[in-house]
Amino acid sequence: MTFPVITASAVGLTRNVSGRRFPHAEDAPALEELRTEIVEVLGGDSWEHSWQVYDVESMTTVQIDHLVERGLMTPTFADCAGMGRGFAVYGEGQASLEINGDDHIRLLGFRPGGQLAFVWSLLNRLDDRLETVLSYGFDPRWGYLTARPKLAGSGMRAYATLHLPALTLTGRLAGTAVELARLGLGLAGLWGGAGGVVQVSNLRPLGKPETEILQQIGDISRGIVEKERSVRKMLLRDNPIQTRDQIGRALGTAQHAWTMSFHEAVNLISAAQVGMELGLVEVPGMAAESAFGLMSRLQSAHIVTDHMDGRTGCLESPEIDEHRARVLREVFAGAWVRP
Amino acid sequence: MFADESPDWNFDLSGSVTCEVCGDEPATMHLLKVVDGIVSHTHLCPGCAEEAAEQTDGLALVLAVPSVLRNLGRSPVAKESGPVVPSDADDRFCAVCGTTLSDVRESGLVGCANCYQVFAEYLEALVEAGAEPKEHLGKMPQRGPETDILRHEIMRLERMLRELVACERFEEAAGVRDRLAELGERLEGGPE
Ligand SMILES: [Zn+2]
Ligand SMILES: [Zn+2]
Repeated sequence: MTFPVITASAVGLTRNVSGRRFPHAEDAPALEELRTEIVEVLGGDSWEHSWQVYDVESMTTVQIDHLVERGLMTPTFADCAGMGRGFAVYGEGQASLEINGDDHIRLLGFRPGGQLAFVWSLLNRLDDRLETVLSYGFDPRWGYLTARPKLAGSGMRAYATLHLPALTLTGRLAGTAVELARLGLGLAGLWGGAGGVVQVSNLRPLGKPETEILQQIGDISRGIVEKERSVRKMLLRDNPIQTRDQIGRALGTAQHAWTMSFHEAVNLISAAQVGMELGLVEVPGMAAESAFGLMSRLQSAHIVTDHMDGRTGCLESPEIDEHRARVLREVFAGAWVRP
Repeated sequence: MFADESPDWNFDLSGSVTCEVCGDEPATMHLLKVVDGIVSHTHLCPGCAEEAAEQTDGLALVLAVPSVLRNLGRSPVAKESGPVVPSDADDRFCAVCGTTLSDVRESGLVGCANCYQVFAEYLEALVEAGAEPKEHLGKMPQRGPETDILRHEIMRLERMLRELVACERFEEAAGVRDRLAELGERLEGGPE
């Protein structure tokens, strides 16, 4: 069995409409007008798939968080409270569009696995289509203009999600972060670093064509994951008892816990995944689903939406933790440790 | 699925926060450490960050988020030697959106396209302070004026010319210079 190097791929593309101030400096009527204009474009019939437009102001916390958890909305956009904000999802989740966040337009795409080039090419096409109607703020020196000059350039940020528990636990990740920083790449924990799930992204979109950035992130991710895999083997070789013990305990907890926080769940799944990749354990319940997919659907808004009819208003409750533990018990029911 | 942006994503942090370990150098790295579920944040200078990276062991999670990348791997830059802007230019502001230079410095945000012209000097200094100066490469608007494409090509050739001259490839440089003159004329003539 082979395991993907990149767990999930995401791309964001920032654009601003020329002749208007950036959202934080523009007045409400102008932003509302712009939103109407963009939403009209999305309603046109020349799109391959249709756009579903949301009324951001009337959405509940659970609905907003569910979008963030699915990778369709950035946490920054979910938390900001500017005027004239709009949001739309393309082709039932292939891509999405934030209107009047930090910038007028931010196209987002997310896909499990190593699909950076695929996601970019989709966003590129959507961007072309938008541009047939909207005129973008662009400067030959600075590229696509954004409210943050630091992000001007191609306007593209690409994010590769990697699963690096061994580098994380052995403290080697800091060294990796320092190396990446030299290359203009950033490293950040996806869920506060739980389970060693981290994201590599380009921090400076200026001065490099999109495809070159994607290539660089892909190459570097492969190198890091290779290092991760060799550290895992080293851990097993040098500390076989502790390694087996930690992974075995994780399995036991996942099989028998009655209440579970998201962070603990991510840590357990992460350990089980390492155990599977090292050939120490079998988890038949995870055969059809990636560890990342399982982690994703154990996030609070997912639990509330999938298992509780979306009926609770808050995203931290004992009930959510109980449902999460139940899902985990079901997945791990047939799991066993190789002798 | 997008990780939260580091809140330190801001131009002037480099000078405004000092390293919490040595207390001397400006901090450029944000170190997030999780031990037994307890999160601690530390701001570090590049030197101490590297040391911390080497020394950390055991069951600790360490994540370093560079707050300002341009200082990494170079001699530490003190606040005074950050982006150079003449002090009399501090009251400069954008007539279109009203953004002032101190607004840009504080928030890292500009208000409109015109700001890029008004604060060009400051923004250039920021980019130059990073790596070698770079202009945009990659996709361009299809509907943009032809002059945008011309200007972009001119900048690219100017850079090429400088590099060719620097490594004494004069014959090729002459060719590039001729091409530049040609493009310059077309730009003067304006779009057809
Ligand atoms: Zn220091
Ligand atoms: Zn302005």
